[in-house]
Amino acid sequence: MATPRKKKTPAGAPPVEANAAIAAIVAEEEAAAMAHVEVSKPKPWTPSKSGWIARRGVAVLIAAIVLGSPALVENVENLRAISLAMIYVIVGLSINILMGYAGQISLGHQAFVGVGAFTAALVVTKAQAPFFVALILAGVIGAVSAFLLGMVALRLKGLYLALITLAYGAVAEFTIFATPAITGGGAGVNAVRPSFLVSERTFVYFSMVVVAGALYIDWRLVRSKVGRAIFAIRENELAAASFGINVTSYKLIAFVISGIFAGVAGALFGFRVESVDAANFDFALGLTFVLMAVVGGLGSRVGVFIGSAFFAILDLLIHSLFGSGIGHTIAKVGFLKQLELYPGFIGAVLLLLTLTLYPGGIAQQIKPITGWLAGKRLKDHGHGVTIREGGAGVRP
Amino acid sequence: MSGPNGSPPPARGDGGAMLEVRDLGIRFGGLQALGGVSVDVNEWEIVGLIGPNGAGKTTFFNCVMGVYSPTSGTVRYRDTEITKLPTHRRTTLGLGRTFQNVGLAKRLTVMENMLIAQHTKAAYGVLAGVLGTPAVLAEEKLLRRNAMEILDFMGLADHRGEIVSSLPYGLQKLSEISAVLAGDPDFLLLDEPTSGMSPEEAHVFGDLLLRLRTDLNLTVLMIEHHVPLVVRVCDYVYVLNFGTLLAEGAPQQIQRHPEVVAAYLGEDADAAS
Repeated sequence: MATPRKKKTPAGAPPVEANAAIAAIVAEEEAAAMAHVEVSKPKPWTPSKSGWIARRGVAVLIAAIVLGSPALVENVENLRAISLAMIYVIVGLSINILMGYAGQISLGHQAFVGVGAFTAALVVTKAQAPFFVALILAGVIGAVSAFLLGMVALRLKGLYLALITLAYGAVAEFTIFATPAITGGGAGVNAVRPSFLVSERTFVYFSMVVVAGALYIDWRLVRSKVGRAIFAIRENELAAASFGINVTSYKLIAFVISGIFAGVAGALFGFRVESVDAANFDFALGLTFVLMAVVGGLGSRVGVFIGSAFFAILDLLIHSLFGSGIGHTIAKVGFLKQLELYPGFIGAVLLLLTLTLYPGGIAQQIKPITGWLAGKRLKDHGHGVTIREGGAGVRP
Repeated sequence: MSGPNGSPPPARGDGGAMLEVRDLGIRFGGLQALGGVSVDVNEWEIVGLIGPNGAGKTTFFNCVMGVYSPTSGTVRYRDTEITKLPTHRRTTLGLGRTFQNVGLAKRLTVMENMLIAQHTKAAYGVLAGVLGTPAVLAEEKLLRRNAMEILDFMGLADHRGEIVSSLPYGLQKLSEISAVLAGDPDFLLLDEPTSGMSPEEAHVFGDLLLRLRTDLNLTVLMIEHHVPLVVRVCDYVYVLNFGTLLAEGAPQQIQRHPEVVAAYLGEDADAAS
């Protein structure tokens, strides 16, 4: 019975597959063997002089567009969208330190941002203290609250930690943010800007300076023993400890740095609209924060920057898209009119696409560009194997 | 009985050992994983710890390194009691350890791991680190140079930019040893360093180990299954079985020890041999 069936199978597909698998294994072994033999390797490709000029030119152009955007934009609404983007970038970097670098999770980050916002608002309004004092204190209080959550994170992992951070945000919502003495009840607390930041455009530039500071700290973190210790703990706690890393301390350090960023971002969040309202800091915001970091690409500074900025201006994008032309017509149809539902829907779709197709997020998708800017060839970052390395491996 | 290097195995149990483990015991619930294990390692020795699977060898390492806290007994290193010290503090005292399954950050590159491993050598503080002061940058440069020196010595310089998990297993093992060496240990605990190596590679590894001892003045305690390697490089061997010491002595002695042979090959082994 078995023999005739075997003959009927078309073209003996399984054997071919098996052969391919064996060939792949052999090739791998050969590659491994080659790795042992210290043959003089071909020198890595480097761009020519004009290649470098092109790269530098594009980099300068991108920087000019980002930095020049406030000057190109006129109305207050758009300027506020850019400052929100900058604030979200700081929050994104904050989330990235915890989730990307330390491998922890935070579903309650809106609480840190909220605590920072109220701290700053109360410091300038109730204590009449200067703006910069408010900014620093917001960072300190953000750090303290993140430190407390970090103490919990030392004892819990994975799903349980996620639940605790979720509860942390929810509890903050119903305790701290529900105390009229702190939040000013439904009216909120004023957070008036100092005279030098009254102009909307100046505030955008100031936010950019803070973002630059956060990016610098993030960059130095990754390139110092502090960041490396945090990575090591994420990858292998036992090994990290036996390399002399104090696992407890460095986990808490990750939480504290993340908390400082979140607190400062919160302060700017309040000063941006010159008022802080408890209703802003709900779970939906915390979820957006996690979404933007994941979609941007955890672990990547550039990815998180783009992801965060995108989610910050998503509302505005949707409104301007549906405010005119074809979008306007579409928006006339029943449920499609509810523009406030779009960001959540788009966020969910982007999250799905990220998790299934591009686990590295936007950072992974723009790898050819970032790689090119860093002095590699554009095609060196395709999906899978490049044409030069063997053609057949290229995926569409 | 003479040792492998022609000299008699040094005395032990007289209190002068570099690592001195006394009556170590640990219990997990109802299971006595280790009971009354005493091990001495003198300075500049290579000592083997052998035994069948599940004998408690890695558990013993975990107790020495402070991953587990033993329920009884003491661990002394260079005349300091370290029984209750956390793992990272033991590392700063000069203990270095490798793992059975490669204790590295496997999604990072070899070089990144070399830098991680020098954590205790970087003297700068956390604040200076994130601010990137000139002193920090200078120190980072030194760490990199030190890492390159070790990678050159181990023949891994060409692999410095590669992700650890993408390397063949043998190279991963070597990378781990390089990383541990980067931390400047005086005492190495190696957990099955030749697992996944061919007999030839294991032989080469034996040469490396002897050279490391001479060049870097190292003392080694290693868990090893590879009998020819143990016989060749070890000055002394401890045999663990079911959490207790079955035998100890010079490797040639151990090789012929009837109980050891029985534990490894089954009860009738001595009759067969």
